[in-house]
Amino acid sequence: MIWLSGAWAVFEKDLRLELRSRYAINMLIMFVLSSLLLVALAIGQDAVSTKMQSALLWIVILFSASIGLGRTFVGEEERGTVLILQLSVPGSQVFAGKLAFNFFLLLCVNLIGVLVFVFLLNLDITHVGLLATTLLLGSLGLAGATTMLSAIIARTTNVGPLLPVLLFPLLIPLLLSVVSAGENALAGGLGWAESTSDLTTLAAFAGVVITASVLLFDFVWND
Amino acid sequence: MEQVVQSIQDSLRASQSVSTPFDSIWTRGDVPTVAPSGLEQIMLSNDKIFVVLAVVLLIWIGLIFFVYRTDRRLSQVERSLEDRIYESDDEI
Amino acid sequence: MWTRQENIPESGLKEHPHVRIGRYALVRNTVFLGLTAVVLAGFLVNIPRINILEHTARNLYFHVPMWFTMMAAVGVSGYHSFRLLQTGSLIRDIRAMQAARVGAWFGVLGLLTGIIWSKFTWYVGTDVWWNFDPRQTMASLQLLIYGAYFVLRSALEDPDRRAKIAAVYNLFAATTTPFLLYVIPRQLESLHPGAEGNPAFSEITEPVMRLIFYPAIIGFIGLFWVLYTQRVRIAWIKYRVSRDPEL
Repeated sequence: MIWLSGAWAVFEKDLRLELRSRYAINMLIMFVLSSLLLVALAIGQDAVSTKMQSALLWIVILFSASIGLGRTFVGEEERGTVLILQLSVPGSQVFAGKLAFNFFLLLCVNLIGVLVFVFLLNLDITHVGLLATTLLLGSLGLAGATTMLSAIIARTTNVGPLLPVLLFPLLIPLLLSVVSAGENALAGGLGWAESTSDLTTLAAFAGVVITASVLLFDFVWND
Repeated sequence: MEQVVQSIQDSLRASQSVSTPFDSIWTRGDVPTVAPSGLEQIMLSNDKIFVVLAVVLLIWIGLIFFVYRTDRRLSQVERSLEDRIYESDDEI
Repeated sequence: MWTRQENIPESGLKEHPHVRIGRYALVRNTVFLGLTAVVLAGFLVNIPRINILEHTARNLYFHVPMWFTMMAAVGVSGYHSFRLLQTGSLIRDIRAMQAARVGAWFGVLGLLTGIIWSKFTWYVGTDVWWNFDPRQTMASLQLLIYGAYFVLRSALEDPDRRAKIAAVYNLFAATTTPFLLYVIPRQLESLHPGAEGNPAFSEITEPVMRLIFYPAIIGFIGLFWVLYTQRVRIAWIKYRVSRDPEL
């Protein structure tokens, strides 16, 4: 319980900071909106296969996550609050709080992104539950990997575009499963029956990534 | 004359079907349409032994290149070691 | 003189590279002789001609060991990253880094030789050079991860911090790669031997090929060890001179 309350405190702190400036959420939403608009304009009126629709949606989401969530720990460094956090809360709780916040942020952005994408491209979603589950599990794995890697890049000197470089090679299993499960959820897709292995992969990926992050986070955080 | 051309074409077709049966071709790729280019003609001759030669040569050249890179690092370290020793001599 | 105490870096001092020169020389000479024998046997020993493959079956002795060597290097690199987090001694970082360097180079060679081999067997008569074959994809992803690892290292200035952070990334990346083994074969089709329904060795494989293949694997891994040890020794001297082991 004490562990949870510590993590919750970190989450609440980040949420309050975010609500005060609304920088990250606005930026993420704007990024997703403008890139989806670009995609929709580039495609034009042509019919795109469901595989391609799913792939485009997820690539936009991955890019927005790699750009928007990279500042998770850099912000702490810049405000000089790292030491206070290190002293007051154990590393695993900091990680859990940050992970929860990033997950929350990603869910909001993905929800908006999917709605806009459906609207812009006139998508036909047959299996809404499947798409929601895919989004949930995919966002969890994505948030896990991004949180850990943003802790890593907060320790480097040239923070800039490093996160995508570190992130994308690790996300290929996630991307492949999420695109195929997303394709199954769209019109003419195969539905739940054919997506179980993708969903298992996604759940296992999120589990492994988060476990590894918890085990390794202290080495980065208490450096 | 026509018979000769016909027999050449037949033998060509036969040899192609021997060297590239359909199940050996990448499933999504096109079934061979491009005639063997100059490079392919060389590589496929002599029962494809030149493919082995190319692979071995590539590994050999790659390894040589890597040894050169290691060597360059070694000379850099040697140079900085020399500098270091001269500096120490000056202090004494 | 240079041997004064204050010139010798503090951290990692207790652990020396532990390269036994006698053993190194023995392995090196054995590897060079063995690989020469492998190359000779690879070209001279008679093997049956199978359709499509013809003589290129001999590439088994040269292309395939590249992958085994890269995998061995990935293992060595991961092990030393793990030990670095346990002990914090910089020699572990040197070993992890150099194993990754040499291993990545073997990976590049494996990729290039694979491209050549497949072009003149499976893709004859087409313009295909690159295809998203599962093995090829996995190998290029491993190379991408090592590329990111090297970029990350160059973005870190302090040797101790660099060692720690890079080790964390190395291990973190290692936890995601097993998924590739599961995900990729289901998403991409394969002609590659060793994939599903496509055994690496079959009953038509000439028994003598195994007798050359296994020594070739041991030989190339030994060659990896020689090149890697050379670089570890150089990096150690660099560290002793400038307190920074990065080559």
